[in-house]
Amino acid sequence: MKEPSDEPLSLPTMPPPLERSSWLWYAIFCLLCWGPYAIFSKLGSNEIPALSMQFLFTLGGVPIALSVLFARRLRMEPSLRGIFYSLVVGMLSAIGSTALFAAYRTGANTVVVTVVTGLYPMVTVILAVCFLRERLTKRQYLGLAFAVVAFVLFSI
Amino acid sequence: MSAWVLFTIIVLVAWGVVGIFQKLATNHVSPESTLFWMIIGFLLLEPFLYPGKILFTYRPRALTFGLLSGFLSNLGAWGLFTALRRGGKASIVVPIVSLYPVIVIACAPFILHEALTMKEALGATCALLSVVLLS
Repeated sequence: MKEPSDEPLSLPTMPPPLERSSWLWYAIFCLLCWGPYAIFSKLGSNEIPALSMQFLFTLGGVPIALSVLFARRLRMEPSLRGIFYSLVVGMLSAIGSTALFAAYRTGANTVVVTVVTGLYPMVTVILAVCFLRERLTKRQYLGLAFAVVAFVLFSI
Repeated sequence: MSAWVLFTIIVLVAWGVVGIFQKLATNHVSPESTLFWMIIGFLLLEPFLYPGKILFTYRPRALTFGLLSGFLSNLGAWGLFTALRRGGKASIVVPIVSLYPVIVIACAPFILHEALTMKEALGATCALLSVVLLS
């Protein structure tokens, strides 16, 4: 009869548990950054006009851009289309976040503003149907229905 | 229409269109490159936003809030892209990160001294369900 080994059973083809679920930790990390981001945005907007908040917001993002650049050893894909679309993403994001700071500055309830602006995937889904000819799943239809109920509740 | 509603609509439209361009961008370059060029896109608008000397008259804590807002937003975006690159499915990762308003809901009474009415709480719940289902 074979002696039981002291070594724990492991499947050599599987990565270690921490690595296997590392994506989850990064997702939670994102969540833990974006929650305080909204709170700091509100606290800053109480004291600084929206345009100046956006100016500071951009400066705050520069260390991240530099980290990405150096992590990739100064190499970026030379796709003009990709760069153009990404620049548009940046400029439109900036317009959106300036409006967010302005909304916070009005003194409206922070949770309501945060939750309603967090509904932007609804607009993306609708635009994707119109312009990218994507089809809605049943789940997304249900999501849109909940968004409509939320808007009605906030507006009455 | 109240001012906050108007600003909120601008956010929804701008960020909604961003979602489309993000999809188009990542068809051509990696998410990290998109993040890098996105921040360059922010920088392109800086000359129009620079408030002048008045910037230095704001309280240091207010300036810190503004800088932290940008730092954490972009750091979070890096976390999201890394989660996707490390094998997280977008259908799971995106709904998780879109729950960030829950942190605001949890902290608002203590940090911002704001409370929600029953109607607002119900609306927030519907909105969170919606965003999880949509993403």
